[in-house]
Amino acid sequence: MIRIKCPICGLRNETEFTYGEDANVNRPSMDEQGVQPWVDFVFNRDNPRGWHKEYWHHVQGCRQWVVLERNTLTHEIGNCELARDAKLPPSQASEAAE
Amino acid sequence: MPEPLSPLTNKTVAGHFGAGDAHGVTLGTRRVSSLWQIAGWGDFEAVAKPVLTSLGLSGLGCFRHAQQLGAVTVWRIAPDKILLEGVRDLAAAASEELMVLDLGHTRTAITVEGSASRDLLAQVIAIDTAPAAFGPGEFLQTGIHHVGVLIHCTGPDRFDILVPCTWAETIWEVLFDNALPHGLTIEEAA
Ligand SMILES: [Zn+2]
Repeated sequence: MIRIKCPICGLRNETEFTYGEDANVNRPSMDEQGVQPWVDFVFNRDNPRGWHKEYWHHVQGCRQWVVLERNTLTHEIGNCELARDAKLPPSQASEAAE
Repeated sequence: MPEPLSPLTNKTVAGHFGAGDAHGVTLGTRRVSSLWQIAGWGDFEAVAKPVLTSLGLSGLGCFRHAQQLGAVTVWRIAPDKILLEGVRDLAAAASEELMVLDLGHTRTAITVEGSASRDLLAQVIAIDTAPAAFGPGEFLQTGIHHVGVLIHCTGPDRFDILVPCTWAETIWEVLFDNALPHGLTIEEAA
C-alpha cells in the first residue's frame, strides 16, 4: 500500500489514484521528420531501478493529474506536484536536435 | 415543470434497523437545490471572481473549507473548478474563458448524522474522520465503493455526501449495511 500526498487534497490512499504513464516521456515536436524519435515516444521506455517520475490521476479526488516520484525498488514515495507545475526533462525532439 | 424525484425515493423507508436499542447513525436525503459548476483554465481566478463577487463571496476559497453564505455553499474542488449550490441560474456567466455547467440533476445528497457517524465514515473511506482531522465546515473528495463523492462536514457529527445520481442507490446500500451495527434510523424522504 502506498500513500500519495496530493497537492490539492492532502495525504491519500493509493486506491484513489490511477497510474497514468511514465512522466519522463515527451512528445517529439510535431514537425519531427525522423522515425526514431517517434518510435521512442510510442514504444521505448526505460525500466529504471530506483527513483522514477510518473503521471498519476487523482480520479477519486480533485481529478487533477500529478507528477509523482516513486522508487521502483522500495516503493518509497517522493515529491508529488501538479502536472501543470512540474518541471519535466527536455523533450526527446530537442535532445535529438542537439 | 415536472417535480424532480430523488433516486432514493424507494430506499428512504423510515424506520429503525440493525443493533437493538442503539441509535448511532441517522441516514436521510436532502434536496440538492440548483448545483452549478464553473471551470476555467489559466486565468480562472480573474474570470471566476466576478461571478463569486456577484454572489457576495470575496474569493475562490480553499480546497479544504467550504464557503457558506446564507443558502449558498461553495466548494473549491480543484484549482480551476468550483461547485456552487443554492445559487441562481448561472448560465449567463458562461464565456470563452469560463465554462458553466448546470449539475442540478446529477447529484443526490445523502445526510449522515449521529454519534457514530464518524465511525461509519471511517468504515467506508480511507481518511481520518476524527473531529480534529475533519471538522465542521471542511469538505473532502474521495471514493466510497470506488465512486467519487464529495463529503461536507456540516456539524460536529453531521455530514452531507454528494453522490452521482446514477450511483446513489449503491452508495446508500453501502452506508446502510455499514451503519447497521451502530443502530440505524432512516428519516422520511425530504
Ligand atoms: Zn487530489
